Amino acid sequence: VSTVKPLTTRSGIVASMAVRNARIVGFALLPGALLWEVIGRTAPSSIFAPLSSTVGALGGLFGSGELFHALGESGLLYLAGVGSALVVGAFFGILLARVTKLRVGVEPYVNALYATPMVALIPFILSTLGLGFTPKALLVFLFAVFPILVITMEGARSVSVELLEVARSFHSNEYSLWIHLIIPHTLPFVASGLRQAIARGLVGVISAEFFLSASGLGELLRLKADLFQTAEVLAVTLVVTLLGVLLMDFGRRLENRFATWRS
Amino acid sequence: MSIQLGVPAVNRFRSRKPLSRFAVVSLRLRLLTGVVLLVAWEVSANLFAPAHVARPSNVVMVLPAVFSDPQFWASAGSTIVAVLEGLLIGVVLGVIVGLAMGRLRVLEHALKFYVQALFTLPIVALLPLIIMWFGYSSATRLFIVVIGSFLPVAMNAFDGSRFIPREYLEVALSYRAQWWRVWFGVALPSSLAYLLSGIRLAAGRALVGAVVAEFMVGIDGLGYYILSNSQSFKQNEAMVAVLLLTLIGVVLNFGTDAAVRRFLSWYRRGL
Repeated sequence: VSTVKPLTTRSGIVASMAVRNARIVGFALLPGALLWEVIGRTAPSSIFAPLSSTVGALGGLFGSGELFHALGESGLLYLAGVGSALVVGAFFGILLARVTKLRVGVEPYVNALYATPMVALIPFILSTLGLGFTPKALLVFLFAVFPILVITMEGARSVSVELLEVARSFHSNEYSLWIHLIIPHTLPFVASGLRQAIARGLVGVISAEFFLSASGLGELLRLKADLFQTAEVLAVTLVVTLLGVLLMDFGRRLENRFATWRS
Repeated sequence: MSIQLGVPAVNRFRSRKPLSRFAVVSLRLRLLTGVVLLVAWEVSANLFAPAHVARPSNVVMVLPAVFSDPQFWASAGSTIVAVLEGLLIGVVLGVIVGLAMGRLRVLEHALKFYVQALFTLPIVALLPLIIMWFGYSSATRLFIVVIGSFLPVAMNAFDGSRFIPREYLEVALSYRAQWWRVWFGVALPSSLAYLLSGIRLAAGRALVGAVVAEFMVGIDGLGYYILSNSQSFKQNEAMVAVLLLTLIGVVLNFGTDAAVRRFLSWYRRGL
């Protein structure tokens, strides 16, 4: 891609996107689909299923409403966990940036928790809080909150001293300081943290639905795997992959939007 | 007299150069916060939680018993060996595939789409499928660890080997370097920074992959140790395993950095 010329016209951009899409279809999707079909037809049915029957299974899961139901349950869990992580992470991130003593004291413990593999805490959540929606949402929250908290804190600390001094010399109180200066400055950092939280949240949802009370896409995956319905397992895995790609794309767009807004 | 008192005070302050005033204050603050957090945990666990819920004092009390339990060390060994083994396979495969994607246009077009898509997929979601392939065995754990570490390394090796400084390639070309020398002698070292962040990501994913595999498959390891102990109301013992797991993660990261400093000391020198 080293020979790409700067494209300024809209038609040029559209043409280059068309070339890119054609490349993906020609070099990646078609051979991949062919390989999938061939392997699926030669391998034993308990191990792999051809693409055609996977697509059929996908249609069946959509038709029966199973997939919509699972997507709804997982989506609600995801929104609850990542949403609360956004609110808590952004607020405490700014608070820690403002209150130096609190930040200095808490920082090593936040970093230690950030480094802890969250999946290892699942059994504790299970045996302390039991089954139900709240423990699962708590797990998703724990997966998602730390990148938002840490990056927001770094961002809010980077407010320029001159602006803070101007605000102070105009007798700005802490509330209007947040509203007019710190929050607008910090939003792009929150968006960066949210991009990471979006990815980690999905891991949290699938883990919660596997290892805490079964629901949504996780339950569907395990159920079909226990029945050795290979095509259905592949279909749901495909849906989760697609969901991951879409969510990551959304996160990247969000981050870029705020990044351009910052400058 | 007053001057006599004042001078040593200043000298004493100056002689403690490695620990600045700020460092002393912040260290004190951090230790204090740690104590406050532990006390808050202890008190709230005593007030609101059932007796089996882990609390700091009990975790400390079970330490000798856990450390003298051969089962604990067998579990730790099992997980560590699987993680290192899978990490090694995943990193080697990831470097080869990533370099090939970065150097060969055809492979880039064929594989980039899949590697990127799988990279965004939570590897936990692959567990049911992999269990169907390998059954409830330690092969499932190894496979998850390999996939989890392969993808970030391949992505980063690809990113790094795509943008090699032109001069390097021209020099290699003018000396008629064979292709494998260009790959492993030029492309690999110049993408080292990318590779390192890939390996660090891989180490984290490998550890998480091993733990979730142990949860679902039920094979011996730290993840299973945590699960079985907390299910039999021994959260304190399980918490020791979580601490060890965190320690392993930190050591893996430090180990990567130390290995770079030891074996690739030319790296960072220019930075």
